Amino acid sequence: MSDWFQDLWAAYRSTLGFAMVNAFFSLSTYAVLSAGILSFATVTYAAAGGFIGTQLALQAHLPVLLVLPASALVGALLAFAVALVFLRLDSHWMALASLALVLITRVVALNATPLTGGVNGLSVPLFFPFAALAGLLALTAVVFWRLSNSWYGIAARAVREDPAVASTLGIPPRRIQTIAFVVSGAVGGLGGMTLALMLQFLSPETYFINIAFTMIAAVVLGGSYHWAGAILGACVFTALPVIAQAVLPEFEKVLNGVALLLIMIFLPRGLIDPRGWKLRRAAKSP
Amino acid sequence: MSDLLQVENLQKSFGGLTAVADLSFSVPSGSVTGLMGPNGAGKTTVINLVSGLLRPNRGHVVLNGERIEALPPQHIAARGIARTYQNVRLFSGMTVLEQVMAGCFLRRDTSLFASFLGLPAANAARRAVARHALELLEQVGMAGRGDDLAEALSYGEQRRIEIARALGTQPRLLLLDEPTAGMNAQESDGIGRLVHSLRDGGMTVLMVEHNVRLVMDFCDRVTVMNFGRALTHGTARDCMAHPEVQEAYFGRRDDAERIRALR
Amino acid sequence: MSLFIEQLINGCALGSLYALFAIGFGLVFATLGILNAAHGTYASWAAIAAYWAVDQLGLPFPFAMLAGVAGGAVLALLVDQIGFQPLRARNAGLLGALITSIACWIVLDSLADSATGHQSLSFPLPAYPSGMIHIGEIQFATMQGISIAAMLVVTVGMHWLIRYSRFGAAMRAVGWNEAAASLSGVNPRRVVMVTALLAGATSGLAGVLGGVTTQNVSYTLGEGLMLKGFAAVVVGGYDDVRGAAVAGVALGVLEVMAAQYISTSLRDGITYALLLGFLLVRPRGIFGGVAFTRA
Ligand SMILES: Nc1ncnc2c1ncn2[C@@H]1O[C@H](COP(=O)(O)OP(=O)(O)O)[C@@H](O)[C@H]1O
Ligand SMILES: [Mg+2]
Repeated sequence: MSDWFQDLWAAYRSTLGFAMVNAFFSLSTYAVLSAGILSFATVTYAAAGGFIGTQLALQAHLPVLLVLPASALVGALLAFAVALVFLRLDSHWMALASLALVLITRVVALNATPLTGGVNGLSVPLFFPFAALAGLLALTAVVFWRLSNSWYGIAARAVREDPAVASTLGIPPRRIQTIAFVVSGAVGGLGGMTLALMLQFLSPETYFINIAFTMIAAVVLGGSYHWAGAILGACVFTALPVIAQAVLPEFEKVLNGVALLLIMIFLPRGLIDPRGWKLRRAAKSP
Repeated sequence: MSDLLQVENLQKSFGGLTAVADLSFSVPSGSVTGLMGPNGAGKTTVINLVSGLLRPNRGHVVLNGERIEALPPQHIAARGIARTYQNVRLFSGMTVLEQVMAGCFLRRDTSLFASFLGLPAANAARRAVARHALELLEQVGMAGRGDDLAEALSYGEQRRIEIARALGTQPRLLLLDEPTAGMNAQESDGIGRLVHSLRDGGMTVLMVEHNVRLVMDFCDRVTVMNFGRALTHGTARDCMAHPEVQEAYFGRRDDAERIRALR
Repeated sequence: MSLFIEQLINGCALGSLYALFAIGFGLVFATLGILNAAHGTYASWAAIAAYWAVDQLGLPFPFAMLAGVAGGAVLALLVDQIGFQPLRARNAGLLGALITSIACWIVLDSLADSATGHQSLSFPLPAYPSGMIHIGEIQFATMQGISIAAMLVVTVGMHWLIRYSRFGAAMRAVGWNEAAASLSGVNPRRVVMVTALLAGATSGLAGVLGGVTTQNVSYTLGEGLMLKGFAAVVVGGYDDVRGAAVAGVALGVLEVMAAQYISTSLRDGITYALLLGFLLVRPRGIFGGVAFTRA
């Protein structure tokens, strides 16, 4: 029994680790989405948090437990700056502009050689215990749980559903969305650093479009109306390729894409859908 | 009676179309004022201008002596103006109680951060707000429906929830845009009585209303608009007797007779 | 001097590909409200279709080009009707369409990779006009001339179609508000389908031309076009054909000139620095601010 468990653990340990790292990214995406903003800038916060955090550890010999909050802070500050520019744009432009920001991020990373190692990348010889990663994710989940149950959570939902109506109720949409950006930045920066610790290696290609797209897909798949959806989505989305690889290695990616398509058609509001539950309950009770 | 709201030479156009043209009227403190006019007269646009969702091209909106036409909606709400919408605009996915809680955002009596931390004082304030929200639901006749998903309810119920949500901001001036549209006579009277009880509690109400009987019964004063301008002000009875109002509302007398003849 | 002019032409030819790509991408974004991550795959598949037409069927180049463009258009229509049409019925908005397009992108990209045998193919030499055009001292490849001409024709044609034709008015109406459009007698379904076809055809054209001039027929062709063409969309503004064309060409010229006169390694850096500058200073693009807001 215990042997069987050991084998399983050995085989899927890294999958679980990446699922947790991806959960940070999808939570970061969820943070803005839950205030009505589609933004891919999580990748940018992750890159900033990852590279700067790694340098703090390598050059300044900061212990990992201090590097993580520093990465979160870097991400949060960057996100605040991004919010100042982006919140002037309408939602369609914001989505485009944030995608552009991702492309810019890669080029900056390629050229800022002292910070990022340029094309060669950066090796990250740091140790971070698995349990600590799980603990960090649990802590982040607690933050999201508190956020969603606080006045911020009510205001963010109102702003997401109808910013104009929210504003006539005295809810300031821009301020709520700025908070959303900062939270997204902090969690994104944290995710960037945990990814560095998982991979033990960073390069400008580490933080690129694929993270942006897979994370947004993970959030929608898990359910974009509840923070737990972001975590569940990240897990499913990390496991999916592993399963596809085992079932049909030749068509792993095609299988991924088809799965995503089917989910959009049959579960458009994601796996965790509080509104759907309430509607079903309403239909049952007369 | 002093005026709580004054609208002065207000003008708003959309591209080539002038929806509100040089409109002036006032809402006396503690009154229920009706805003009437045929479809497309510009009534909803006036509500949008007063609540700050639109900015006028010219003119002023004065609340209690302060000019507010350039303020963003959330600041106007903080100064005591709340509103409902002609096509009910509730938040999708929220329960009835959550809708009203969202309306109570201004009166939460605690900081966002304290409420995030879940400090005891913040939790107590939150419970007080929830109690207040339940009272508001009772006031609009929706007691016991707090946990229902708002979008699963009937149109009339949704309208009443929207009123409760607006009341959550504890407004001095409540703007109602066709609050009885789609309701039967009994439900409409309920809204009228609710409006009266709010007025008796010290609130001022400006309501867009089509139903002449309801305006007669429940509005202390009326302003009638057509083509973005004020046709006349006064008591409901005086306004309805005004020949231009008759014409704007019922068409010209001979038209009306011809229509009757067709039937 | 002639080197400068030749490089200018090089830049315009490269930029024409970006412009063609950006026009189609912007058209779909403005009219259908879809941020289409799969737009680049139409270009890859169009290049593959043209390659097959040459390699398997031995068709002459103009027909191969036609096959590619038609292939891009049909693929775009299929993706739209299979992937996006079900979403329209239930108002899934920007997000739903984006996820669907990501799914299509993953599927089509990896199928394209399989179709080319996991390698980059190039058109066999006699199959396309490989000569040079000489004008005085200056010489440039015939294919570059064709690219620039194609871009000019498409830009003028599209601009005319959208601004001055009745169908263009219908497209703009759908972009504003589908419900209102159908009230005013426009058939939104048909507008949607034609828009998808046009977008796929322009992307396909960019793909065929790019596949020949860069000697790269593989899924990376579309990805490369996507990254640069996307920059042209942001700089040019997605709701204006002229903006996309000007921005695409400008980015191509900038890229070639930067590589020639500054440094090859900074080539992409300059493109994206410009992009960042636009985001900060003119976030709605060159011709931005023109009334075209979605309600
Ligand atoms: N946002 C808008 N954009 C363009 N036209 C508008 C807008 N809002 C209102 N209008 C136009 O302004 C006029 C007045 O509309 P409205 O204020 O809704 O009238 P009412 O509420 O009296 O029926 C109408 O012709 C309407 O079409
Ligand atoms: Mg109206």
